[in-house]
Amino acid sequence: MFEARTRTSRIGLQVLVTILALPFLAPLVAMVQGSLGGRGIGNYQKVFDTGVVGTYFRNSIIISVCVISLVYICTMLAAFGFAKLRIAGKEVWFWLLIAALTMPEAVLLTPLFVTASKFDMYNEFIAVILPLAALQVPFTVLLARNFFNGVPTELMDAGRVDGASIVQVFWRIVLPLTRPIAAAIVVLTLINSWNAYLLPMLMLNDPSKQVVTLLPSFFTSQYTNDQTGVLAAAVITAVPEIVAYLSLQKYFERGLAAGALK
Amino acid sequence: MSGATTTPRSQGRPVSTTGRPGGGHRTRTRRRNHLQAAGLPWILPAVVLVIGLVYFSIGYTGFVSTLDWNGFILSSPEHVGGANFTKMFGDTVFWQALWHTAYFYVITFVVQTVLGFVFAALMHSRVRLGVVYKVIIFVPTVLAPATMAPVFRQIFDADGQFNWLLSHAGLDSLTRPWLADASTAMPVVMAITVWQWTGLTFILFYAAMSQIDPEILEAARIDGAGNVRTLRSIVWPMCGGTTAALAMLGLIGALKTFDVPYLVTKAGPNHGTEFLGTYIYQTMVQEKHFGYAAAISVALLVLAIGGGVLMSIRSRRTEGS
Repeated sequence: MFEARTRTSRIGLQVLVTILALPFLAPLVAMVQGSLGGRGIGNYQKVFDTGVVGTYFRNSIIISVCVISLVYICTMLAAFGFAKLRIAGKEVWFWLLIAALTMPEAVLLTPLFVTASKFDMYNEFIAVILPLAALQVPFTVLLARNFFNGVPTELMDAGRVDGASIVQVFWRIVLPLTRPIAAAIVVLTLINSWNAYLLPMLMLNDPSKQVVTLLPSFFTSQYTNDQTGVLAAAVITAVPEIVAYLSLQKYFERGLAAGALK
Repeated sequence: MSGATTTPRSQGRPVSTTGRPGGGHRTRTRRRNHLQAAGLPWILPAVVLVIGLVYFSIGYTGFVSTLDWNGFILSSPEHVGGANFTKMFGDTVFWQALWHTAYFYVITFVVQTVLGFVFAALMHSRVRLGVVYKVIIFVPTVLAPATMAPVFRQIFDADGQFNWLLSHAGLDSLTRPWLADASTAMPVVMAITVWQWTGLTFILFYAAMSQIDPEILEAARIDGAGNVRTLRSIVWPMCGGTTAALAMLGLIGALKTFDVPYLVTKAGPNHGTEFLGTYIYQTMVQEKHFGYAAAISVALLVLAIGGGVLMSIRSRRTEGS
């Protein structure tokens, strides 16, 4: 966009980008640097010595995988139904879903809290998985339906004429065409469920059931004023996310961008 | 979009009318109905999940908002009608939280948009090592606010890195415990939000700018427009759709704000960084005023649904065009 013909102006642009980008890098540098203060690498040892790191990661993985599966199944089926099938009062159903699009988690706090204690669902993953999925589904259905609308109906009709059932058409013809949007949905849901903080904090009190976003605060409660250890805990939770992003850069960027534009 | 509009539209296409000698209009209609399977079972899982959780929660929140209740199953709640709402409208903290949400939204949206736009323009300008810059700006988007909260608490601490930086830049007079004063804690909360979400605005503007025909820019240059002029008069207007989408997204995000103020400033000092989400949480979990918390939730809900309707109208309009 900027035209930089001379050498000076090119260097100027490069300097400008660098100055603008530095504040974005600085907190990460501060995090790593702080986590190595005092006992150095020993801070990490101390975090791992709490013995909960593995458990927290395992729990986060379980929750994310469940939320992603649930969201994926619900979204793909519903988007196909809304885009291609005959439903009485289709618009009404669709609006019912879309109205929930912007629901802040905080609105769900009271009912979830009371329901969970009534049915003894405290410290059960399901008490986090279901609300996280329910909050995600309206968004992903909207996203996927727009994509499904673009799948030519003639393709499905051809399958039906050849005697395939609607389930076969969906499974064999439509689903393989939806990979790009499926990747966006999976990444979007992964980020939202992995980074979820409020619901796990509220619902999962048992240390053996907690998730990675709670690791820094768990460490704080164990060792007050051990700031270096807390930062080491933060690094430990951040590294897998950064690695996941770097290895799947394209999908992360597309997934988040797709989520934003609908 | 609905079943009713699909049939005539597909009938109008030549594809479905050719190659069927002897097939009259009646048979084709029947075939169409046969091919269009019933869709209700397909949408059922999503509908049950969303209605079962979200709509149930809304109804329940509405009910609890009329109670005076400490949340314990065994203690009997007292019905107080609209008393919680009366209390809410007279509650300065509630209005403070709303006001914070409003100006938090405006400022973060403007800063994020400008930064994202400038970054996107720079990245389109043959900058070296573009990928590195892109990764640096986008990584915060992927990280959990809960992960970064302790880092920011440390950076803006009285003897944190930010003050260190200021004093080394000869700005000793500016150093202060940033999180201890409401007037500086709020800008910190906003700065963290901008840090986190500029990557997203950048990616969106970057994509939008890729769509602009280079010939238009070339024409502008020939007419003598400089860099800034081209950006302001051509590129910026052509990214209007993206800006509108970001405005909606930012509004919803502002209403949802919880993690950063809760973890970095504990919504304080003295409610200085209170948002609706943090206030609901505090009222319910710490003060055990379930009825009052539900009443604030209803207010938040009304705002969120208002935002949602705006968003759907916009999305519908873009679909139509």
